[in-house]
Amino acid sequence: MGNIDSKGIKENTYDAIVIGSGISGGWAAKELCEHGIKTLVLERGRDVKHLIDYPTMAKDPWDFPHRNELTLKEKEDNPVVSKCYAFREDAMHFFVKDKEHPYIQEKPFDWIRGYQVGGKSLTWGRCTQRWSNFEFTGPQRFDFGWDWPIRYEDVAPWYSHVEKFIGICGSKDGLEAMPDGEFLPPFELNQVEQHLKDSLLKNYGDRYLVHARWAHLTQPNQIHLDQGRGKCNARNMCQRGCPFGGYFSSNSSTLPWAAKTGNLTIRPFSVVHSIIYDEQKQKATGVRVIDTNTKEATEFFAKVIFVNGSTLNSNLILLNSTSNRFPNGLGNDSGVLGKYICHHNYRGSLGGEIDGFNDTYYYGRNPTDAIIANYRNLHKKDADFIGGYTTYAGAHRDRNDGKTSPQQMGAEYKESMTEPGPWKVYSYVQGETIPKEKNHVRLSADKKDEWGIPQLITSVEYDDNDDKLLNDYFVQTEEMFSKAGVKNIHHSDSKQAPGLDIHEMGGCRMGTDPKTSMLDKRNAIHHCKNVFVTDGACMASTGNQSPSILYMTLTARACNYVVEEMKKGNFK
Amino acid sequence: MKRRRFLSSVGIILPAAMVSTEFFLSSCKADVKEEYFSDQNIKLLDEIGETIIPATSTSPGAKEARIGEFMKVYVTDCYPPEEQNIFWEGVNKIKKNSKSKYGNEFPKLALLQKQEILLSLKNESKIDSNTPQFYPMVKDLVVFGFFTSKPGATKALRYIQTPGYYKGDVPYKKGDKAWAT
Repeated sequence: MGNIDSKGIKENTYDAIVIGSGISGGWAAKELCEHGIKTLVLERGRDVKHLIDYPTMAKDPWDFPHRNELTLKEKEDNPVVSKCYAFREDAMHFFVKDKEHPYIQEKPFDWIRGYQVGGKSLTWGRCTQRWSNFEFTGPQRFDFGWDWPIRYEDVAPWYSHVEKFIGICGSKDGLEAMPDGEFLPPFELNQVEQHLKDSLLKNYGDRYLVHARWAHLTQPNQIHLDQGRGKCNARNMCQRGCPFGGYFSSNSSTLPWAAKTGNLTIRPFSVVHSIIYDEQKQKATGVRVIDTNTKEATEFFAKVIFVNGSTLNSNLILLNSTSNRFPNGLGNDSGVLGKYICHHNYRGSLGGEIDGFNDTYYYGRNPTDAIIANYRNLHKKDADFIGGYTTYAGAHRDRNDGKTSPQQMGAEYKESMTEPGPWKVYSYVQGETIPKEKNHVRLSADKKDEWGIPQLITSVEYDDNDDKLLNDYFVQTEEMFSKAGVKNIHHSDSKQAPGLDIHEMGGCRMGTDPKTSMLDKRNAIHHCKNVFVTDGACMASTGNQSPSILYMTLTARACNYVVEEMKKGNFK
Repeated sequence: MKRRRFLSSVGIILPAAMVSTEFFLSSCKADVKEEYFSDQNIKLLDEIGETIIPATSTSPGAKEARIGEFMKVYVTDCYPPEEQNIFWEGVNKIKKNSKSKYGNEFPKLALLQKQEILLSLKNESKIDSNTPQFYPMVKDLVVFGFFTSKPGATKALRYIQTPGYYKGDVPYKKGDKAWAT
């Protein structure tokens, strides 16, 4: 650290500091500011203003010089992030380029990052199923990892709180494995998707293909209009930023909402070096920040600190927050900080073609996928692996590929390609992975970044359980699709490294026992009670559901705990 | 958008996506001279494109989509050097064959002659080869470039930037165009 400017302690003091402005940091800002808490949000990247900073949102395919593909140079310069499905000409400005922020892959890990106000909430997948108690109790029932200190009942009201505000489309399906929420009308299933749904029910009775539960405003309520957001226009170009605010992002929703209270200060270009721990007061008093442009160091102070830097960066900040009391990282008496990193198994996809349905098509671009709810290891262990998986599925009808045209040139060839071809059915898997001590991140002892912060070492890999789960997905989905009449089925194991799922979780997990966990049931650090970690780092296991809405839910819940405690005079 | 995860994982063939990663890593700067994309060659590429995707009574062809200009940008920026070389070898062969078979430049040939030249290159392609073949390469490039162009997307197909809503079941009758995106 260089010279630290602590002179203006008073002007650098807030009620709360939130590290990170992504999907969970935005929620912390909203909840705290709404309750009159003066909040400083620190963002390491640049500012991105809703609408103003979406340069590609109104572009057509032909407006992109490479028609939205990557150039060879972009691929060569970015071997990691160019693997990401959304890193394309239209949205690459919302992703960290490989050379900008190096890290060390002890084992291959594709770390996909979005350093800007709004973080990855601009480009996220938007899928928002609730966890069920099957996931919360999974580690305890099947003896892997450690038990969660909370159950579905603890978070259900907070799920509702978040869903109402951000807007989730879906239908109430009454499934125990995927609890219902506060839903706006769903995106319709097309005829082939409806056929798949019917076929599953007929052939299995207990496997359910249901409408997508996705963060889109299919029919905005007043609360959404009040945010300045409007109806989703079925453009399916969400990753560019939406001109209608049709999907949820921090930029379109929580951050401007927080700003309206007058209690929010956002400071872009502010990378957090570490959290300051006061040994006398036995609590955290603030954070050390480095201006990413000037490299000047500044300290900011607050009564409570929310760590929402994204899973691995939150781990990094805590590991780098050392003191006499905590030589191994803030609150890390147990030694578990940085360990038990897990992610979702996104390696598998499977698809095929289906005959018929020639007299039906669709209008508009559905930005969602239907979901086959997890059917594995629910009430009892019924597979040769641990955990469950969500199967996303859908059907579409693209332009004919012209392959059957004999000449492969000329008028007949062209005309054959202007009409839709056969219906295609697709699926991909989101599988649970098991938290293991050896899957970890740690700080490099010698390599630092441009700002003097140690680089992160990633050491995360798949295991047998992941292979078995993947195989089961292939076998079961092929069977389900075959029974529905899908033919020419092909499946693929991408063998992609962990990380490319962009669902990395854990390292600072919740738990009841301070000897085996970092956070208590309110997401406060056991040994430093005024620091809360409510992003993906807090996860004790991965479940099979999409995690982002759970981070938002846990954030809202923790913030409201802080608000209630402050009313009682705590957190001085 | 998530469907893209599926498409990318099963390997939907894009014009320059037939090459392995090792191919990229071993690549060096292509020996591409400026004059390769001379106005004259762009016109030639337009004619090649138009032969593959011609204007028809229902919609314009590759020439109106300025396929030559598109190929210039795409081949230069997105093709590894090895593929650029295959591309230019093929184009030069078209020039040469036009002269030797019909005694004229490709753009000046009759439609059937142009098709004949391209067909002979198509028939030379080895189907099970590991190295990219010229005709499939140029054909994929023309098809991709045309259907993502404004004339291709809006006249040969249907395109609406902002549909406004989604409906999962609308009647389809033979002859209705496919959606461009």
